[in-house]
Amino acid sequence: MATIAVERPSQTWRGGAAYGAKRSALVAAGLAAFWGIWEAYRFVGERAGITWPFTVDATNMPHIHDMLSALTKPLQPGGPRLIQLEWHWALFTGKEALLGFALGGAIGFAIAVVLAHSGILRRGLLPYIVVSQTVPILAVAPMVVVGLGTKGVKPWIAVSVIAAYLTFFPVAMNALRGLLSPDPRSMELMRSYAADRTAVLWKLRLPASLPFLFSALKISATASVIGAIIGEAPASIQDGLGGAIVNFNQYYSTGPERLWATNIVCAALGLFFFLVVLIAERLVLRRAPEHVA
Amino acid sequence: MSLALRRQAIQWLPALAVFALGIGAWQGLVAAFHVQEFLLPKPSEIARTFWDERGTLWHAGIYTFKEALGGFALGSGLGILAALLFAAYRPLGIAFMPFAVAANAVPIIAFAPIMNDWFGLLNPFSKMAIAAVLCFFPVLINTLRGLTSVDPRSIELMHSYAAGRASVFRRVRIPASLPHLFAGLKIASVLSMIGAIVGEYFGGPTNALGVTILNASAYTNFPEAWAGIVLASAFGILFYGAVALAELLTTAWDPSRRAFHTE
Repeated sequence: MATIAVERPSQTWRGGAAYGAKRSALVAAGLAAFWGIWEAYRFVGERAGITWPFTVDATNMPHIHDMLSALTKPLQPGGPRLIQLEWHWALFTGKEALLGFALGGAIGFAIAVVLAHSGILRRGLLPYIVVSQTVPILAVAPMVVVGLGTKGVKPWIAVSVIAAYLTFFPVAMNALRGLLSPDPRSMELMRSYAADRTAVLWKLRLPASLPFLFSALKISATASVIGAIIGEAPASIQDGLGGAIVNFNQYYSTGPERLWATNIVCAALGLFFFLVVLIAERLVLRRAPEHVA
Repeated sequence: MSLALRRQAIQWLPALAVFALGIGAWQGLVAAFHVQEFLLPKPSEIARTFWDERGTLWHAGIYTFKEALGGFALGSGLGILAALLFAAYRPLGIAFMPFAVAANAVPIIAFAPIMNDWFGLLNPFSKMAIAAVLCFFPVLINTLRGLTSVDPRSIELMHSYAAGRASVFRRVRIPASLPHLFAGLKIASVLSMIGAIVGEYFGGPTNALGVTILNASAYTNFPEAWAGIVLASAFGILFYGAVALAELLTTAWDPSRRAFHTE
């Protein structure tokens, strides 16, 4: 037993390291391939004068190294470097997204718990939960910001509400499926122990819903970042990535690499949220391998 | 038949009741609490504006829906082709999948302004492009999952009949992927409409729905803005419904779909 206990971690560590190295090499190769294709298309496109589907030139396809080096240069002479500004914007948008994620996740899960217990509410409300996502939230965003503003709510919290609107949907749908997923035989067993609804919820439905919940949270992590970025634009918030996109888009012809750099930061923020949920999923579901879907 | 109809009615009754109650409560609360029009106009006000402006709104809606449809067709088509390719050449798929999952975690919609810069503000293709990119990844990921998560026994059976790769694809993998494919297409239908509207928000022709909504709220014509929002949702719902109907029609005759249900 002792030898196993000593050997196992080192084995898994070595296996994990090899796996991690392989993954990193794959990611590096993929990024290098993307870089190569981008630059090759631009090189060929500029010389051959490709105008379809779009004109290939320095404005439309800035060099990727120019996008990255734009991050190290200040916007105005003597000002902070762009990367420092982007960092603050990302923190601001990340704060909005995080609050939206928490709010949307909690509301989505609460809706799922209520609907899991009532067939009639399910039939009555589920269609509208689906319909809710067809509302172009971008168009409603200004009303949300102004409306909550009259109640004394700060604009960034209003943007979180918009992010929550996009976040709650996957959580509600997947958690509902998960809460309804337990084996009927398990339900019968619980009932034979005279377990009440609360006990069934905590001991059976909730653990069964976890894998479904985490696949929803992975979608929601990105959705909350999308909501925060998109919500900032109509709310005319200047302190986040969405505001930066609107600004840099206006000066696209003179500095396209700044808009691209901001989009790279947006992508990084989305990936960061996704990876945090992914790691949380690994940690939580590792203890219950039989539940991993 | 009448029994089936009655069962359908009972199925949809709660939803209809919620609809009536919701509209009634909205109308009543807005009137009772004197909610300002710029926040939330009365449903009756929105309905009247919708009727008065039906010509303009309808044309704008159709214009934007065409963009969404174009983007949906392009993005979903490419997503399905890529999934077929990755399912046929597994090492390629295994190498590429992490990137597809990562791309799906990126706020792609932030690229809408760049699409406008690439293809031109007034060119509908700029909106189709962003809608297409939005649709591509969910369709690719779902379809590939469907194509590869086939019961190994079915494959073995096909091999025992000496079936080639092509017929395994045609008879096993593609039918088995349909439910997953349609799950992806349903997500894509909603995303394509949102992509088109967000693209228009960053600039587009005045006869587009997103621009109409934006201009209406800029000129404080809030009932018209809300009428536009309702129309956009209606197109989104119809599109989603059309995909769901297509799913019903294409998978009803398919024995593997029935097997999914009975399992």
